[in-house]
Amino acid sequence: MLFSALQIIEKYRKEDVNMIKNIKKRNGDIVTFDINKIKEAIHKANLESTDDTMTKQDLTALANKVVKTFDHSDTPTVEQIQDIVEKTLIASNCASTAKAYILYRAEHAKIRQSEVDLMDIYNELTFQNAKDADIKRENANIDADTAMGTMLKYGSEGSKYFIDHYILPKDIAAAHINGDIHIHDKDFYMLTETCCQIDLLKLFKGGFSTGHGYLREPNSIQSYSALACIAIQANQNEMHGGQAVPNFDYSLAPGVAKTFKREYFKALANYFVIRFDMPKTDAIALAKTIATDLPMTITMSNAEKYGDALIAYLPKHQQDNGFQAISAEQTKAAHDYTVETATSETDRATYQAMEAFIHNLNTMNSRAGAQVPFSSINYGTDTSPEARMLIKNLLLATEAGLGGGETPIFPVQIFKVKEGINYNEGEPNYDLFKLAMHTSAKRLFPNFSFIDAPFNFQYYKEGDYDTEIAYMGCRTRVMGNVHDPAHETTCGRGNLSFTTINLPRLAIEAKGDINKFYDSLDQFIELVIRQLLHRFKIQCTKKGRNYPFLMGQNIWINSDHIGPDDSIAEVLKHGSLSMGFIGLAETLKALTGKHHGESEESQKLGLEIIGYMRKRMDDEAEKTGLNFSLLATPAEGLSGRFVKIDQKLYGTIPGVTDRDYYTNSFHVPVYFPIKAHKKIAIEAPYHNFTNAGHISYVELDGDTCKNLAAFEAIIRCMKDNGIGYGSVNHPVDRDPICGFNGIIDNECPKCHRSEEIDKPKFERIRRITGYLVGTTDRWNNAKRAEEKDRVKHGLQA
Amino acid sequence: MAYKLKISGTVDESIVDGQGIRYTIFTQGCPHKCDGCHNPHTHDFHAGKEVDIHDLFTEICENPLLKGVTFSGGEPFCQPEPLIQLAKLIHTHKLDITTYTGYTLEELEAKANPLIDELLKQTDVLIDGKFINAERDLTLTFRGSHNQRIIDMNATRKTGTITLLDLT
Repeated sequence: MLFSALQIIEKYRKEDVNMIKNIKKRNGDIVTFDINKIKEAIHKANLESTDDTMTKQDLTALANKVVKTFDHSDTPTVEQIQDIVEKTLIASNCASTAKAYILYRAEHAKIRQSEVDLMDIYNELTFQNAKDADIKRENANIDADTAMGTMLKYGSEGSKYFIDHYILPKDIAAAHINGDIHIHDKDFYMLTETCCQIDLLKLFKGGFSTGHGYLREPNSIQSYSALACIAIQANQNEMHGGQAVPNFDYSLAPGVAKTFKREYFKALANYFVIRFDMPKTDAIALAKTIATDLPMTITMSNAEKYGDALIAYLPKHQQDNGFQAISAEQTKAAHDYTVETATSETDRATYQAMEAFIHNLNTMNSRAGAQVPFSSINYGTDTSPEARMLIKNLLLATEAGLGGGETPIFPVQIFKVKEGINYNEGEPNYDLFKLAMHTSAKRLFPNFSFIDAPFNFQYYKEGDYDTEIAYMGCRTRVMGNVHDPAHETTCGRGNLSFTTINLPRLAIEAKGDINKFYDSLDQFIELVIRQLLHRFKIQCTKKGRNYPFLMGQNIWINSDHIGPDDSIAEVLKHGSLSMGFIGLAETLKALTGKHHGESEESQKLGLEIIGYMRKRMDDEAEKTGLNFSLLATPAEGLSGRFVKIDQKLYGTIPGVTDRDYYTNSFHVPVYFPIKAHKKIAIEAPYHNFTNAGHISYVELDGDTCKNLAAFEAIIRCMKDNGIGYGSVNHPVDRDPICGFNGIIDNECPKCHRSEEIDKPKFERIRRITGYLVGTTDRWNNAKRAEEKDRVKHGLQA
Repeated sequence: MAYKLKISGTVDESIVDGQGIRYTIFTQGCPHKCDGCHNPHTHDFHAGKEVDIHDLFTEICENPLLKGVTFSGGEPFCQPEPLIQLAKLIHTHKLDITTYTGYTLEELEAKANPLIDELLKQTDVLIDGKFINAERDLTLTFRGSHNQRIIDMNATRKTGTITLLDLT
């Protein structure tokens, strides 16, 4: 066959081709024709094909044959020339090359069709305000109206363009651009990983360096709090996602203990001065001597024993050395007073430290100053008195709000619910669980994670915080570990990257044929796996020096032995590669006519689909030894992107493409009225499948502060149903004029002004993909539409 | 007839009509016609729809999250008979009853009507008094105006003096 093809080529090789002079480009420009471009294109297609490799002569002959088709006075368009190339290749019996050429051409056409010119994007970024340009509100946490915010967007958009056109395999780029899949944080494709869970306890031991300076081990709760912010900020600057502390109570409790010890000896010295008329220097020296001489260290839990030891020591010490006499009774009185004073002083200092922590995380800038760090903290299980004091004050400071009484947006707080520790009356941290609900009813945080959910409990080892499930703010979860089953732990691990499949489109294309749906699902799962591995390979080329904090300060697990020039490939294997999905509700609607909130059959199918996707991830994990996992994608920018493209392709399909957003992950649609317990029961089994992260919400309309019993009923229902991570959404409004915090309809209940008449507008805090956002002004269009549709429980008609 | 109740509507899960998550029944028909009432469509005694209390009870039993049921309106004390029957059923299901009324407790007691007395007996929490626009306050819990009271009926019966519910 090839022989005959070459014979035809031979015929054209000898002829002197009458050249075309000019061609017309797609933008209408007339440019000089260059035959080498045709040769190059055929050459590339030939290399992709199973045909024999063409020689230079073959290529020239084919190109000449193409040109010959046109009259030399013609000015053909690029498309016309490409049509002829296709025909020529087929006619020359180079079928495989022709196929490769057609594919290549189609993918380029797709990319071109949906890709706006980069300079048009820059134009929009430069000359439009964020409120008018959706592209500037892609991420509600970034203020793209500022200089640094715009600069970040220039970088981000330029990077995406580069990745699409020069890095990604063409079929993957095309799949992203035309909306079959979404590669998250694509602008960071060549640079870094998503997120990490920081073990502050380990980091603080012996102090650390940010790369700009060395910090000593902190010695008070105030410094612990300040350094915690610095660590979060430093790590955030090296990764593209958020930062979480999985063990906030365990990590900062030593700071409380250190402050308590210092306050104790300070109060003791003061007591000596006032009650015993001791000169101040002597009193301080005596307190110091006591601290060194007594074999134990004073803590909040051993104060009584310490008192006994002090009584045994001090009177004798004074007598033996011929110092001022102090009796046993006097010593006891001094100790009792001192413990009380130290406790209240430590409590006060801890409150201030937590207040500062929250203020810092809402005001400190990172990433070129355009955003605050995406921070999350998990806590609730440390029952030591220091940790309890810490968490109590953190919750109180959260409830008090920022300087003007505003609801703090960061950190995302996650209260770990665990039976035996904090869930039932009589358990040591039950009071903190109650306080957590009280705080969340006012401030939307904390959220609640459930260690007892079977898929979380399987990792739990009592007393080891590293085995307690933690979530990162937006919902990410990293726990299982096929690479190293001895480390099925949270600390030092995180997600490497994730990519989402447009499930509703597969369902629309399947036209009700479930086998066809699964076939194309398989095809895209393969593509996503290939893409995640492609990105992983790039991530693996990095060295220790690329991450001076993450690797240099040994935040990442097992990075202790990685020097600046060592590869990080091996330790990265502790991270997760996640495939996500969006719009299960629309998918089911397209396949069966009903979503999983409407029909039990659809729920069955939904579980089957998501269960299958999970199985594919498990299989891949086993095959590669890498942590492939399934994610209920948070999808902020994505909620509108897919549906916008699909509306263009398929028009408006009721219940599928007729809204401005696809429903988040496996959620029952927000517009669908459903009782809270049913929503929880329907969504809970999906938590078990989505091992890379999940969250369920219940919307309540009304001031939950005034009805904590209702709030608690929801949280308990979540636990009973096996939810892994959940929260209650309710309106939190604030009048910036009088400072009222609560629900505001048209009129502020406190000062009775209305926002239509008087400026400024009321602030309306709502949750977006796990994060709180101060005003809906910075939300993208799709998320605005979704929030408007949310059906609330308890709404009065 | 004792099982038929005239209602304006129901809310499956309310958090603003009493403690916990509640099923709220808005009865139809109200003689008070308070100025500024937020449910004026419930005033007309001829409007609304008639429902069987057993159907309401079935729906109430389906929701495990409920702490109780709230009778609102309208004026519940205009239809004591069906509400007494329904309240008895609800109490067998271990849920509590909150009843709103435009009358004061004293006014209701003064009527010396055995049916009204029985509905009061079936009520765990009574939120009483007309809505008075001049005393309106949006920050109040479960109430519209300051004159209204949230009365703990069980404690009131026990002590013999009106005892307000401690909401803290």
